[in-house]
Amino acid sequence: MRCWRMDLRRSFAKYLNGELEPSAVRRIEDHLLDCGWCRTRLAHLRNGHRLAQEMPRFTPQRDRWNAIEAAIDSGQPATTKKTVFAGWRDVLLTPAFAFSVIGVAALAASVFVASGRRAAGEGRAGTLVAEALDLSEFHTVNIADIEQNNKPHVVAEGYVSELRVNDEDGDLSFKLVDDLGRPGPFIVCEIIDPIKLTPPAVGSRVRVYGVSRYDGQTDHNWYEVHPVLNIEVVRQ
Amino acid sequence: MKIGDSQTHSDERETIAAAQRGDRAAFKSLYDRYRDRVYNLIFYSMGDDLCAEDVLQIVFVKVYRGLPRFRSEASFATWIYRITINECLNQQRGRGAPHIPFEALLGSDEELNPGAAADLQHADRERSEIIHRAIMELSPKLRAVVALKYLEGLTYEEIASVLGCSPGTVASRLNRALRELEARLRPLRRLL
Repeated sequence: MRCWRMDLRRSFAKYLNGELEPSAVRRIEDHLLDCGWCRTRLAHLRNGHRLAQEMPRFTPQRDRWNAIEAAIDSGQPATTKKTVFAGWRDVLLTPAFAFSVIGVAALAASVFVASGRRAAGEGRAGTLVAEALDLSEFHTVNIADIEQNNKPHVVAEGYVSELRVNDEDGDLSFKLVDDLGRPGPFIVCEIIDPIKLTPPAVGSRVRVYGVSRYDGQTDHNWYEVHPVLNIEVVRQ
Repeated sequence: MKIGDSQTHSDERETIAAAQRGDRAAFKSLYDRYRDRVYNLIFYSMGDDLCAEDVLQIVFVKVYRGLPRFRSEASFATWIYRITINECLNQQRGRGAPHIPFEALLGSDEELNPGAAADLQHADRERSEIIHRAIMELSPKLRAVVALKYLEGLTYEEIASVLGCSPGTVASRLNRALRELEARLRPLRRLL
């Protein structure tokens, strides 16, 4: 029969972890003598406790110290996209600022196309991040097969079809496609501020290294390389 | 190292003080000491190894920037874990939690076949993987409590301080987590 001593059951995990006062332990053990229902519950919890004690520990695949130092030295905000956005929301929402950002991005994109080479002067942080990477560890994926990918770090090759400034946070993103002339599968590649990579020219063929993600936000539902950790230009 | 380890705590206090004075080597020493622990907390809180390393980086930059405001009488571990949990929450907002179907854990008929069980009983790696996946099926809130309790060995009060909730809430979440974990793994009890 079900037992209603919820006050005692609430302490079962604490009991198993040995964190109860002796008087509370005695109360629970006295009750267990008479209550089969609670004994069963406790046995289940004990199994859970035993399994939880075996939860595996993991180690990051790469040491991030260089990138952390770079971010500290560069004075870039440590905050995530959303918190950066929250802090600058008022500024970003002004039309004048939005037009300026879009203008600068368009100018930058046209300069890249015209000059036919990557712009020089990547930030120190970006350089350090790139130096810290072992590019051989990145799993090669085809743009059309990105859905099947389950590896965290990927490298994808394709053409840059769009370059734009994210309305929300000012980060740069571009679409990576197999064919510039036809609509088809794509990967959205996002360059976040602390990494400071030079954006590729629209129309160029590039190899993009980064973290594979699925963006499930409404109106998104696409696969991303986010953040982009390195870009190699294959063909201008 | 547990929070209550007074000798370590004393050594750590000196390291923290040096880091607060801008000693980069001291901060590196704190990073080395907490890197894996913070990483595991992120990993289990977010249930996503894809971005755990990115969040780890963000957390340590925030820890560095926040060091001048850290008061030495407080627990450094609790403080750093609080920053970690807050950053995980920031990252999770607007992002759907990845779902790992439990059917994937139950796997093929072969795994459920008693003939194969004898082999699996001694396969530590697989056992560990099964437990890991079952834990990842818990909700992020429950996973965070389990990680703080079973990986970090924090007391209920310390966990409550990290999560900004009452010890009663911690107790209730931990009860629920253990119950769910047991229920999820019950079909595999013979293997575990």
